[in-house]
Parts: sequence; structure tokens; C-alpha cells
Amino acid sequence: MNASDTHGSDDWLEAALRVDADSHAHAYIDDAGFTAKVMGALPPAMEPVPRWRKPVVVAMWGVAAAGACVAMPQFAIDVGREAFALLVAQRVSIPTIGVALAVLGFGTWSAAAYALRND
Amino acid sequence: MASPDTDAALIARVVVNDDRHAFAELVRRHQSTVRACLRKLTAGNHALADDLAQETFVLAWRNLKSFRQEARFSTWLYRIATNCWLADARKRKEELLGDTDTEIADDEGRDDSAAAGDFSRDAALKMDLEKAMRVLSDGERAAIVQCYHNDLTHEEAAYVLGLPVGTVKTHVLRGKQKLKAQLGAWQQ
Repeated sequence: MNASDTHGSDDWLEAALRVDADSHAHAYIDDAGFTAKVMGALPPAMEPVPRWRKPVVVAMWGVAAAGACVAMPQFAIDVGREAFALLVAQRVSIPTIGVALAVLGFGTWSAAAYALRND
Repeated sequence: MASPDTDAALIARVVVNDDRHAFAELVRRHQSTVRACLRKLTAGNHALADDLAQETFVLAWRNLKSFRQEARFSTWLYRIATNCWLADARKRKEELLGDTDTEIADDEGRDDSAAAGDFSRDAALKMDLEKAMRVLSDGERAAIVQCYHNDLTHEEAAYVLGLPVGTVKTHVLRGKQKLKAQLGAWQQ
């Protein structure tokens, strides 16, 4: 018993509460299907992500990228050339290139993390 | 024979693997105490207590990831159960406070005990105590149940009720004064 703010004249009440609390503590309530009822009321389980999903997603992105390069080689070359020309035409410094690479890397990794997320 | 998993191990299995069997084991372990606590809070309304207990465990399942193990799992469950009961009590205010003005007649308990024949004095007092608990305010009743029936310290009761420790002590004191007034006939 932790609530023992007793006055002398309250002993009988303390005793009564103690008896009631003891019977409460020792009275086990039989489960009688309660747990099953609770489990039935839980929200439905989410479908687990199969183990094969991640490698398949990576492979599909790889195939798509390779397919794009094969199907449109001139387009890929043109885009690369234009990008290079644009880059060369810029008055860029080493730190600027570093920042650009960092941004590009961050974007790539974010996209990969999003594509490979569990849910 | 393997020793049974601790609550902490079962909780980890639920949080990490979404393990429903582990949660079912937690429910089996704690259903009796949670339902008994709610039966006290609802003044013996078993059907309502069981509904609230079910709500308690469903909420526990949903919020288990936020359980930081600052308190015992059972204490955390008492906290959810008490909140469920308080929310329900607010909805049913009129019903719950219906009998507050009714003094327990001196002869009422005696008649009950006489009718039962072999009822012991303790059993009769227990019945009167349960009736007397109905005159307490929600806060007073919750404080008495947590401190006496659930055997929590004032600090633990304060955590369960979301109140300062001083307020819990005041609720206990006032609750006992009201019980004393209601059960005056038993003082002799």
C-alpha cells in the first residue's frame, strides 16, 4: 500500500481499503476469449515486402537505362554533348563543380532510397 | 524448458517485427489487471470495463512504438486505460454522477448482508465500499484505484493520471474523506 496518509481515526478505512485492494489483487480474471477479441480488433497487418523486390527494382531500372541508351544513342550523345558544351561555356570553379556533384549525388541517392523504400 | 520472454523482449518483437503472437502474449499477461482496474473505475460495470479494456489494448498496439520504457509496461497500460475511462466518463457524465447525492443508508448494507446469510463482515464492507466509490469524483476515484488497488506510488499514479503528485495526494485525501462520510456506520 502506498497511499498511507492516515490519521489515527482513519485506520478502519485504511483497513477496509486494504482488504478490498487485497481481494482485487488476488482476483484473477479469466481470459475467456478476451485476447482473441482484442487480436480480432487490431488493424489488419500490412503486406510484408518480399525479399526479391529490391533486386528486381534495381535490375528493372538498370534495364530501362540501358534500353534508353541503346534505343536512342544519338539522343544520349546529343544530350551529353550539349551538357558538356554548356558546362564548358560556364565560368566555373572547382568548388562550384564540387557543389554540383554533391547536389547530383544527393539527388541520385534520394531517388534510389525512395525507389527502394520498404512500404 | 525455455524461460518465458520478458515484457521488454515481447515489446521489441512487436515493434521490430510487427509480431502479433508477441502482442497476444502481452495481452494475455496483462488482461486481468487492466480489466480489474477498469472494473473498479467503472464501479463494477463489467461489460463497459471489458469494452474499455479492448480499446486500451488496441491503442497500446497502435502506440507501442512510442513506449519509451520510462515506466513499467503495466503502468503504461493503466495510463491508457485511465484515459479511455475518463474519455468515456465525460460522455456518460450524467449516468456516472446519477447517484452522487444518495447516502448509503445505515440499514442498506445490513439488509444485504442479512439476506446473503453467510456474508462475512468484510464482504459486506466491500460491497458498501464499492457503492461508496460511486460518490467520488472521477479524479478522486482514479487516484484511489491507482494508489490502493493497483498498488502504485503517488509518483506512478501521477504518471498514470497525468497530474502533479500534489494533486494526486489531494484527490486521495478528499476521496478518503468522502468514503469516510459515506461509510460512517462502519466506523464503530
